[in-house]
This record gives sequence, structure tokens and C-alpha cells, in this order.
Amino acid sequence: MTFRTRLLLIFTVAVVASVALVEWLVTDSTRQAFERMETQRVNGLVAQFRKEFAQRGQEIVRAVNGIAASEAAVNIAISADYSPYYNEAASLAAAHGLGLLELVAGDGTIVSSAQWPARFGYQEEWLREPADWESRGAFLRREELPDGVTVSLVAVGTARAGDRKLYVAGGQQLGREFLSTLVLPAGMRVLLYRNLEKEFAPTELLGGQLEDLPNVQPLIEQVQKQKREVSRTLGEGTKAETFHALPLKGYQEDLLGVLLIASSRRDLVEIESVLRRTGMGVAAAGILLGIALSWWATARVTRPVQRLAESAARVAAGDWGATVESSSADEIGQLARAFNRMTHELVAQRERLVQAERVAAWRELARRLAHELKNPLFPLQITVENMQRARERHPEQFDEVFREGAATLLAELANLKQIVARFSDFARMPAPEMQPVSFNELVSDTLKLFEPQLAQARVRANAELDPRLCPVQADPEQMTRVLRNLILNAIDAMPEGGTLTVRTMALEGGVRLEVSDTGQGLTPEECGRLFTPYYTTKTHGTGLGLAIVQSVVSDHHGRISVESAPGKGATFRIELA
Amino acid sequence: MRLMSSPWFAACSLGLAALAAATAAAATRPHYGGTLHVEIRQSFETPDPPTTGYGMPDLARAFVITRWEAGRRAVYAADENAPGGRAFLDAVEIEMARPLRDQSIDLELGKTDVAELGLGELRRQPAGRKVWPSAPVRLVALVFSPRVEDARIREALALAVDRAAIHNVLLQRQGEVSAALLPQWLSGYAFLFPVAADAAKARTLVAGIPAGVRAISLGVEDAAARPIAERIALNARDAGLAVSVVPRAAGADARLVEVRIGSMDPALALASTAASLGLPEPPRADSPEALYAVERALLEGFRVIPLFHLPDVYGVNPRVKGRPGITPLGEWRFENLWVEGGPP
Repeated sequence: MTFRTRLLLIFTVAVVASVALVEWLVTDSTRQAFERMETQRVNGLVAQFRKEFAQRGQEIVRAVNGIAASEAAVNIAISADYSPYYNEAASLAAAHGLGLLELVAGDGTIVSSAQWPARFGYQEEWLREPADWESRGAFLRREELPDGVTVSLVAVGTARAGDRKLYVAGGQQLGREFLSTLVLPAGMRVLLYRNLEKEFAPTELLGGQLEDLPNVQPLIEQVQKQKREVSRTLGEGTKAETFHALPLKGYQEDLLGVLLIASSRRDLVEIESVLRRTGMGVAAAGILLGIALSWWATARVTRPVQRLAESAARVAAGDWGATVESSSADEIGQLARAFNRMTHELVAQRERLVQAERVAAWRELARRLAHELKNPLFPLQITVENMQRARERHPEQFDEVFREGAATLLAELANLKQIVARFSDFARMPAPEMQPVSFNELVSDTLKLFEPQLAQARVRANAELDPRLCPVQADPEQMTRVLRNLILNAIDAMPEGGTLTVRTMALEGGVRLEVSDTGQGLTPEECGRLFTPYYTTKTHGTGLGLAIVQSVVSDHHGRISVESAPGKGATFRIELA
Repeated sequence: MRLMSSPWFAACSLGLAALAAATAAAATRPHYGGTLHVEIRQSFETPDPPTTGYGMPDLARAFVITRWEAGRRAVYAADENAPGGRAFLDAVEIEMARPLRDQSIDLELGKTDVAELGLGELRRQPAGRKVWPSAPVRLVALVFSPRVEDARIREALALAVDRAAIHNVLLQRQGEVSAALLPQWLSGYAFLFPVAADAAKARTLVAGIPAGVRAISLGVEDAAARPIAERIALNARDAGLAVSVVPRAAGADARLVEVRIGSMDPALALASTAASLGLPEPPRADSPEALYAVERALLEGFRVIPLFHLPDVYGVNPRVKGRPGITPLGEWRFENLWVEGGPP
């Protein structure tokens, strides 16, 4: 992963995290604000409903008091015989818009009942309880009807005529009809649970559309248990509703019902959905913009670094004169300038090093030449001095001495000539002529040439050739020379005899060639200097063999290395690709 | 002044006085005849006027049918050759199928001379309304179907019904409370049948009845009798029975029926009443004691629970003169009536 990609990834993660955090904060705070508004709206609606409910109670009180104050009620109150009035409640209830009405004598006997005409003569004991019915207003009461029990909103008025009185108890059933007459704002619905059974009974839940009603049983049961108002949001999505469950208590504080005021959260959910979509859109746009800016910023930041990296790569590739443009004054600019100084310094140091190495090489060459030439020159000097002494002191032996001296001189001169030829060969290393070369054949042919020499040196040759090896581009003559040098080097390393192993191994598009011996091995220091020209660990030789090998391998763009340890032989490994 | 003291003036004065006296006498003398307008709730859909039963068939004694519109209207004219002599009325015009409330309104507006008064209408009649009540000749009773096999249910219901409350309020004290088939005025022993409700005993009986069979249906076809049925259902509820009032008698577990006493002979009346109620034919009884035993036997088992004996009550226009136009049995006797003041 490039530095730019990594930087872009970091920027992107940072942008995404930041935008997501901001989006969440904005969305959450907005949602909470709308939630507060929704709560205020619902509370307003609930208050409006309470007012409507109270108004219905006041209407009932007015109607009941109107009946109690009517002449008809007074006539009934003063009547000695109530039987003619047993059907009076129905007509009075109809006239005053009441669903329930009972005319009850002062002793609690029902004179007339609109909701249950057959109950005349029965007792309404609750009316005889000491209570100020007029000031109580409308209240809830459990009402028995021919077809069952219901909850009613009733008020009690009293018609008085002297010491006689007539109770007028009238009201409305809290049922579907009552609920349907309530004026409800849009998005609100009212349900009534009549608490007439010991356990929750779904049939006692009255209201509008009950099919899509969420499970309100836990809510009702909570109100039944706690006898206080409870609010809860039920349902999901656009069908969610906030339910306010109000306990409906009778005049004896007994829980007669639970009024469920449900306010749809559809508008809120839709607003939240729009907010969420908008937020996500803005966040996505922000993220894209952030990524684009990150892309631009990373490009701007990494371009000098990339140039530095390219220049460093050029330096690594050998172009030590590579430099980087530096126009900025920031850390990157300082780095570029430092890089440029470094490369300039490298070039200068390399030139100094080359010069020093060149001087060292000349010195080594001079030392080697002096050493190589000194050896033949000393016999030449001795021979000439012998010949001069024989001429002066023993003229009779001069011819014989001259003959022997001449032969010695010629031999030493040939030796000098050979030394000069070697140096000439090293200096005249030609460029390789590349062609497909079968290294297995090359190894076999070369080992065959060395068979007598190997036998003389009591060295056993072992060839481990990879049959998968294909021909590799190389100069066969130079590679033969490389192999000869390595074999000769191995024979020299095993003066007491040993085993020479030559291996080939197929590489991807290339070859690995290994030459191993079982000689004394090399120290790490010797391994480090082994390919230096004119360096040798042998008493004879010019020290140019391995230098020539390295030069050929290098001309083939290959690598050569050596593995060795004292007493464990050495292995030279060449890899061509 | 001379003119006023002259003989001519005296003669004229005497003449005028005589004329005034003659005019006053003509105004107070009954004017026999006229057409009596009668409205009834019953509707006869037969091709010819009915000849049996009560009411319209009773007119055959002194009137002849002159116009018959089945189910709507009938006009009878005085029979000049009637055995008891010609009726005072010239004609009787009967309008059938008139609801009780409409009859009451027509009577109030003077559009009819005679109208049947139901229980609801009785309460609404103005003070001083002229009425013709018969003796209590209509038996109101509960009749159980054979499906209700458990006698405890029947007895519990008989004990639960508060007859007095119904009589006082719903029936406006018309007729009499009764637990007997024959009315007191006819048998003389009806008071021996207990009429008081005993809710406690009823509850005890019901407690022994399996809960699954405590519900019964009570059929009432006459809407006017529905309040009575509702009250019975309420009484039964107090006893632990679930009585539901249904508008059709057919198929109901019990029916609220009304049977008319058809004879002044108690034995015959008992026999006809028993037959009407689906009871077995009682044996002939020659003494009141025997008749009481027979009736008591009929009522054992509570297949029939007598509740009330009610009279026929007719509201009458003040312009109808003469003796009451019905007998104690509710039979029409219009031949001795007359109508004053022309057609209503």
C-alpha cells in the first residue's frame, strides 16, 4: 500500500467518522426537538380532550338540573302515587338528550327508569348515601342495564317539594356512541376500556378501528395496577401511536375504566424519515467531497515525497546524481534539500572512493607487478652475474655457463611474458555475446576436460544437473571460462583431494550454478575480499581468477556469492536470470 | 209607555215567552238515532263479517251489515225487525286495524265515539273521561312450552314474578292480580291461589338448577304487553334465571298470552280457558269446591302461571248517550245507545 493510499485511507476514515458523528448529532438533536414538539402537541390535545370530556359532564349536569327544576319533576315529587310516572323518564331523557335517566323517590325507590323501564320500584341505595350531589357535578358510575353492565357519566339533581324530594340521576353511557360524539383533532383517536371484569377482557375495549390496534393490554394493566395516568408509545413506523391512558374513577374512587387517547406519530415519523434521508444525503455528499479533498490534499502532500522516493530509487539504481526539486520551505522542502545534499555528497564521495580505489588498485597492481616481476628478475640477475663471473674467473667454463644461463634467461623471460599476457587478458575482457546456452551440457563438457587433472589431484567430480533446466541466454565461451576458473579454484582448495560437486538448478527464466568443494574453507574476512582483483589466498596465482569470474557474471547481469566456513569447504553460487 | 201597557203588547209578550219555552224543551229532549263511530285494533280479513266471538259479532242482535271492507271498515244499520225492537242508533260504523294510540288520539279529537283504551292510553286520558269497563275477563298468563321440563324453573318463575308491582304501575291497577285461571268475580275462590312473590324461595329453587339450563326465552307478540314481559324478566333475574324477551312466541320457552273468559258459567269458562291454554280438559265440577280442586289440579306443575285478570276498557265520546255499551263480559250492546250532535 502506497503512502498516498494509506494517507487517503486515513483521511477518508477521518472524514467519514466526522461526518457520521456530525450527522448523528444533528439528527438526534433535531429528532429530540421534534419529539418535544410532538409531546407538547399531544399534551395539548389531551388537555383539549379533557376539556371536551369535562364539557360533556357539564352538559349532563345542566340537563339533569334542568329536569330536576322542571315542573314535571316537582309534580312527581309531590305525587302520592308514582305509578302514573313510571314511563316519564324516557320522555324526559329524550327531551333533554340524555341516554340514561332515572327518577328516584326520596326513599330510593325507582319511580321511572329510561334505560331500564322495568326497574320501577327497585331501590337505588347509592342515592341515599349522604352526599352533596349538586356540588359533585358529573361523575362516573358503574351502571347495570338489561343487556349488561356499562360505565356511565352521570349527574344527580334533586327536585324538592316541601319535605318530599325526587332524585334525578341522568347521564350518558361511556360507550361507542359517546366516544363518537367527542370532537377529536386529526390524528387522534379515543378508546375506552371498561374495567368491568377482574381480568383484562378485549371485548370491553371500545373505540374506532380496533383491527389495527397495537397490544394495549400491558398499558391498561399498568393503569389498573397503579391507578394513575400512563403514557407509552406503541406500534412501529408510521403506525406508531402515543397512548395516554387515563384512569377513570368513580365517585368512590374505584377504577371504572381506562380512557386511551392515542395520538398518531405518523407526522413525526415522516418528518424524522425526511430528516434522516436528508441527513444521509448531506452526509454522503460531505463524505464524497471530503474524499475528493482528501485525494487532492494527499496528492499535494505526497507528490514531493513521491519525487523523493523516485529520486531515492534512482540513487539505488545507480544514478547517484539524482536530485529533487524543492520549492517549499516546509519539512518536505527541507527533506528534499537534504536529499539533494546527500546525493551531491554521495557523488563526491563516490568519486573520491573511486579515485582512492583506483589508486589502491594501481598500488596493488604495482605491488603485484613488482612481486610477479621480481621473481623472474632475480634469477635473471643471478644468471647474468654468474655469466659475468664465469667470463672473468673461469673462461673455460664460460660456454657451459653461458648455455645454462641462456636457457635460464629464456625460461624466465617466458615466465615474464606469461605474466604480462595474463594482465593483458584481464584488461581486455570482451563484452558477452549472448545466445541460448545449455548449462547442463556446459557443465558435462567442462568436467570431461578436467578429468585427467581431477584424477591427478585425487578429486572426485560429482555433477547434479536439473533435467528441467532450459537453455539460458549467456556467452558460452565466457561461462566456460567462469566454470573452469571455479573448478581450478576448487582443485587448488583441495590439495589432499576431495569431492567436487557441480549443481545446476532451474530458476524462473534463469539458472543457478553451484560449485562446491570439500577443502579447508574460508574465513569470513577471506570471503569478503575473495573477488577483489589480485587478491589470492594461494602461494601462486595472480588473484585475477575470481575477479574475472565476478566480472563475467556481472556482465551477464547475474549475481555471484560464496558460502564457506573454515574446515567445511566452500560453495560458489551463480544466479543468472 | 202606552205601547208597553197595551193588550197587544201583553199578547205579544205571552207569545214570545211560549216560543222560548218550546225552544228550551226541544234542546233538552234526547234525539235518538245517529251513527256511532267505533274504532278497534282487531282486523278481520275474512270475506264476510265475523259471526262468532265478541265485539262485532254481538252487533248481529240488532244490526245488519250494510257494507263490508275486509280488514278496513264495516257499516251496520239498525235492524228494523230486531227481536228486541229497533235500536236507537241508525247505524254503527266500525274502523278496523287502528292502533291503540291512534284510537286514543281520534277519541281526543272527537273523530270517533268509542275507542279501545290500552294500558298506555289509560294513563294519558284526561280526568273525567267517560269509560266503559267490563269485568276482568281477560286472563294474562305465562304458558311454558313442553321443552321446559324442569318444574323448578317454572315454579321459580311463578314465585319470582312481582304481580303487585306490575298491577300497580304497568296496569295502572286495572283488573286484578290473580294466580287463578278464573277471575274472583266468576269463581269466588281465586283469592285462595297465592299471588305474593317469594324471591328467596325462587332463588333457592334456582340454586338447585344447573347453570346451563337457567336461561329461558319469553315470547311476547303483543308490543303492548312487552313492558310486562320485561318486568317479569327483571324479577326472574333477581331469582337467578336469565329470561330473554323475544318478539315471537313461536319457538320460545314460554309465552305471555292473553285468554278471554268466554262464559259466565265457571265450569264452562274453566274448560274453555284450559283449552285455550293447552291444558288438559278438566272434569265437570258441580260445586265450587270441586271446581277449585279441578283448577288447582290444572295449575299444578306450573305449566301455566296466571298473572292478572284484566277488563276491556273503552273510552267513550261524551256525546254518546245511554247505558254502558258493553256487558260485564265485554259484549257489545249498542242498541240502547244514541248519539247527539250529529256526526263526529
